[in-house]
Amino acid sequence: MSLNKNNLTLIFFTLYLTFTIGQVEERRDSILTQDLEEVVVTATRTVRQLSSLPLPVTLIPKTQLEQTGVTRLDEILNEQTGIIMTPDATVGGGEGVQIQGIASDYVLVLIDGVPVVGRSSGNLDLSRFAIGNIKQIEVVKGPSSSLFGSEALGGVINIITEKPSSENISGQLSHRMATFNHHNSNFSINQRKEDLGYSFFVDRLSTDGYDLASGDVGQTVNPFDNYTLSGRLFYDASEKLDFFVSGRFFHQDFDVAPSTSMEQDLNLLVRANHDPSSKTNLQYELYYTNYITDEESLDILTDEVLLANDFNQKLFRPEVRFNQKFGENTFTLGVGGNLETLQRNLFANNVSFFSQYVFSQYDFTPLEGLNVIAGIRFDNHSEYNSQLSPKLSARYEISPSLAVKGSVGSGFKAPDFRQLYLDFTNASGGGYSVFGKEVEAQGIQRLQENGEIANLAVNPAQLGQRLNAESSIGYNLGMTLKSGKLTTEVNLFRNDFTNLIDTQILASKTNGQNVFGYINRERVYTQGLETDIKFNGIKNLSLSGGYQLLFAYDKDQEDALVQGNVFARDPETLQTVRLERSQYFGLENRSRHTFNFKVFYEIPKWDANANLRVVYRSKFGLTDRNGNDLLDDFDNSFVDGYSLVNLSLGKTLFKHYQLQLGANNLLDFKGSNPLALQDNEVLINPGIQLFTRLNITF
Amino acid sequence: MKTTLKLFTFLMVVFSFLACSDDDGDAVSEFTVTTISPESGTVGTEIRITGTDFPSDASNISVSFNGIPATVTSVSTTEIVTTVPSGATSGQIEISANGFRKTSAATFTVLSNLVSDTVSNLEAPQTGGQGQPIGGPFTKFSFETGAVTDSETDWDIAFRGTTIAVNGGTATGTNEEPTRNGNGGATVQNGIFSDITSADGLSFDQDAAGSFAVPAGSGEGWYNYNPATFTVTPIPGRILVFRTHDGKFAKVEIISYYRDAPAEPDAFLNESRVYTFNYVYNPNEGETALE
Repeated sequence: MSLNKNNLTLIFFTLYLTFTIGQVEERRDSILTQDLEEVVVTATRTVRQLSSLPLPVTLIPKTQLEQTGVTRLDEILNEQTGIIMTPDATVGGGEGVQIQGIASDYVLVLIDGVPVVGRSSGNLDLSRFAIGNIKQIEVVKGPSSSLFGSEALGGVINIITEKPSSENISGQLSHRMATFNHHNSNFSINQRKEDLGYSFFVDRLSTDGYDLASGDVGQTVNPFDNYTLSGRLFYDASEKLDFFVSGRFFHQDFDVAPSTSMEQDLNLLVRANHDPSSKTNLQYELYYTNYITDEESLDILTDEVLLANDFNQKLFRPEVRFNQKFGENTFTLGVGGNLETLQRNLFANNVSFFSQYVFSQYDFTPLEGLNVIAGIRFDNHSEYNSQLSPKLSARYEISPSLAVKGSVGSGFKAPDFRQLYLDFTNASGGGYSVFGKEVEAQGIQRLQENGEIANLAVNPAQLGQRLNAESSIGYNLGMTLKSGKLTTEVNLFRNDFTNLIDTQILASKTNGQNVFGYINRERVYTQGLETDIKFNGIKNLSLSGGYQLLFAYDKDQEDALVQGNVFARDPETLQTVRLERSQYFGLENRSRHTFNFKVFYEIPKWDANANLRVVYRSKFGLTDRNGNDLLDDFDNSFVDGYSLVNLSLGKTLFKHYQLQLGANNLLDFKGSNPLALQDNEVLINPGIQLFTRLNITF
Repeated sequence: MKTTLKLFTFLMVVFSFLACSDDDGDAVSEFTVTTISPESGTVGTEIRITGTDFPSDASNISVSFNGIPATVTSVSTTEIVTTVPSGATSGQIEISANGFRKTSAATFTVLSNLVSDTVSNLEAPQTGGQGQPIGGPFTKFSFETGAVTDSETDWDIAFRGTTIAVNGGTATGTNEEPTRNGNGGATVQNGIFSDITSADGLSFDQDAAGSFAVPAGSGEGWYNYNPATFTVTPIPGRILVFRTHDGKFAKVEIISYYRDAPAEPDAFLNESRVYTFNYVYNPNEGETALE
C-alpha cells in the first residue's frame, strides 16, 4: 500500500476500503494493556506511564468510577484535586468544569482523543456524558495546545473507552434509582473474537429535575430524559494494521411544555493504526461530530414564541499522526484539518471555518533520569490570526523516591462563532443588540441607516478589526515523593492569560439601549499550589487527600486599583469610596481553598466495599453587584464555604449481582444564594440525593 | 535638651531685640505692603500680607476687612497672616502698625461659602417607556435655591426617569423637554466626591440634538441597569460636575434612584424615579472651587 501524504482522501478511502473488505491478519492486543502500571495517552498522544510523565496528570481509574456509583462525568470530576464543577449560579442550570482556576470555556473535552463540541455560552455540559464502558478518565492540567490546538488552555479531559478483551460475551445491565425520580438504566455488551471485537452501550436517564428557587415559576433543572447509544468495532487486519470505528449518539428532551428544548450529539470516528515496523507507528483518523440544540420558549398563556434558538454545529476532522522511535526516544508528527460549520438562527448567515494544523513532538532522554518533551503546533485559520503553540516539559528523577518535574506551555482558544457572527437584537429584553466581530460593521451601518443609532462609542475605523485568539502561557513546577506506602505530589502553577475576549459597548441606540460587540481586552492570571497525598499502608484501605490553593485575578483591575481608579459605594452612606487592592476578592466563582478527602475500603470476605468522599470549597463570589466590574468586599454576592459528603456502599451477591446504596450530599447541604431577591430563598444545592443501583454482570 | 536649646535661642533672640530697642527705640520705620494673597476668600480663609518692616509683635498690628477687625494669627517683619473675619464684606483691607495706617489698593472680595447639601426624594416621574414613547415634564432643580423650581429660566438641571438635562445647549428631541436658555453644561468625572476639588480645567458638554450632556443609557452616564433585578443603581465613582445656567459650578453624587434611598433597592417594593443626591455648589461668580 502506498502512502501518498499529499492525498489524504485517497489514503482514507483506501483504508476504509481495506477495512470493509476485511483482509484479515492476526494482531496482538493493544499495547494499552501490556503494562500493568497505570498508563495514559493524553499527555503525549503516545502511551506513557503515568508516574514517569513530566506533566500534572490526574487519572480516574475504572474501579473508582464503579465504586463511587456515579453515572455522569461531572459528578466524578468534582471529587478530584483542583477540579471544581461550578454551577452557573447567575443564570441557573448548567455546570462548568474549572481546572487550576480556569473556566470551562478553556477546557478541552475529548472522547478517545477526539474533541466534543457543543457549548452553550462557552460552557460544555459534562452531565451529557454517561459513564459506562469507560476504561479511565485522564485529565492533563495546564495548557496543551501544542498537541490539541484550540481550547486546551486550562487542561484536557479525555474519556478513554474500554476495549473488549474476553473471548466470551460479557457485559452488564444496571439500573440506578435516586432522589428526584432519577432513573438511569444501561446495558453494555462486549466481545472479542480473534481479530474482531465489538462493544455496545445503551443508556437512558430520566429525572424530574429539581428546583433551587421555590419562589419563582418553573424549575432550576427541568424534568428531562436522555439516551446515549454507543457502538464500537475493533478489527485487526494484520499484525501491523488494526482499525477502530466508534459511534456515539446522544439525545435529550426537556419536559418544558408548551415550550420545547432538545439537545442532540453525534460522534463518528474511524481510526487506523499501522505499524510498518516495530519502531514506526502511523495513525489515520477521520472524525465527524454534529451537535444540535433546538429550543423554543412559548408564552404559557398565549403560545407566543418568546425565544427560538436553533443551533447546529458540525465538525469534520481528518488527522494523521506519525510516531517514530529512536531507542527510548519518540518523535511525533501530526497533521490535520478542521472543517466546521454552524447554522444558528441568531446569526446573519450560516458560517463555516476551515483550519489546518501541524504539530510535532520529541520525547527524549538526554541524560539518565532526565526526560524531556518538546512540542510545537501551528494552527492556520481563515477567520483569526494564526497561532503557534510551543510547549516544553521535563522530569528529573533525583532518586527512585523523589522526582521533580516542570513544564512551560502555551494555549489558545479561537474566537467562537458567537464572537464572530452573532447578529442579535433582543426584542423582548428592551431592544439591545449584540454583533459578532465579522458582522459588526454591517450591523452598525444597518442600524444607522434605520436611524436607530444615537451615539457611536468607538472609532468607526475600528469596527470589524480582527479578533485575536485568547491565549495563555502556563507554568507548572512540581515534585513527587514516595516514602513507603505514602505518595506525595506537589505542583505549583501559574497561568497568564492575555487577549481574553470581552464585550464592549459599540454604540448607544435611540431607544436608550446599547449595541454590544466583542473586543480583546482582559488579562488575567491564576496561580497556586495543588497537592495530592495517597496512602496505601493498610490492607484493603486506600486513603487520599488533596488540596488546592488558588489566586485568580484580573491584572487590569489590579492596576486600576493601584492607581486608585476603582470605586465602590459604601453600603451605609451609599457614597462612593475608593477601593484598596486588599478589598479585591478576585475572579468570580473561584475559591481560595479546596480540599478533598477519599477513603475506599474493601471487605473481601463479604465481597463488599465502602467509600466516603468529602469535597470542600471555601468562600467564593458569584458576580459583581455594585457596578464596578469586579468582585470586592462590598459585593453582596458571596457564598460561604461548604462541604459535600458522598457515601457509597457496595456488595456483590451470587458473583454476578452488585448492589449499591449511597447518598450524594449526605449532610443535606443546601446553602443560600446571595443573589436571591428579597424574601425569596434560592439554594446552592438541592440537598441530599439517595441512590441505589443494581448491576448484573455477565 | 532640645527644649533647653530652643529656650536659650528664644531668650537670645528676645535679648537681642531688647538690646536693639534700647539702641534705637524711637526710630520706627514705615512698613510697606507688597502683596495680599489671595485677593478673595470665604470667611475663615487664611490671608497672607507680605511687605517689609512689620512689627514683630502681633499686638502692635491691626487688620480689618472693610471695617471688620480680623485676628492676626502670626507675624514676622515681612509677613502678616490673618483670616477673613466673620461678618466681613467685600472691600478694602486696612492695616495699622507702629502708628502708620495703610489700605489695600485692590478690593478684597469676600466669597460666599460653598453650599454642601443633600437633596432627598426628588421625584422625577415619566410616562411611557418599555417600548412606548417616553414623555412627561422634567423636574427642574436650581442649585442657587437648592430646591425644585418651576421657573422657565432659573433652573440648572432637570430630571425625568433616568435622564438628566442641563440648562444649556439645544433641544435633544425628546418629548416635553424644558427650553434651554442658560449656559449650563455637564461633565462626568471619575473619583470619590471629595476628589473633585475644582471645576477648573474641565470641559463641559451641553445638551444637543439626540444626546444629553450627561450620557443616557446604562453604563454610560451615572447609572447601571441590572436586567436581572430590574434595578437602577449609580455607578460607583461617577461624579457629575455641572456648570449652572448662570455660569457657576456644582458637583453632584447621586446616591439613590429610589424613595428614601434604601441600601439594596427592590424594584418591586421601592418606588423608583425618586432621586437622592449630594451636591456641593459654589455660589460665587467665576469661582471654580468645589471643595
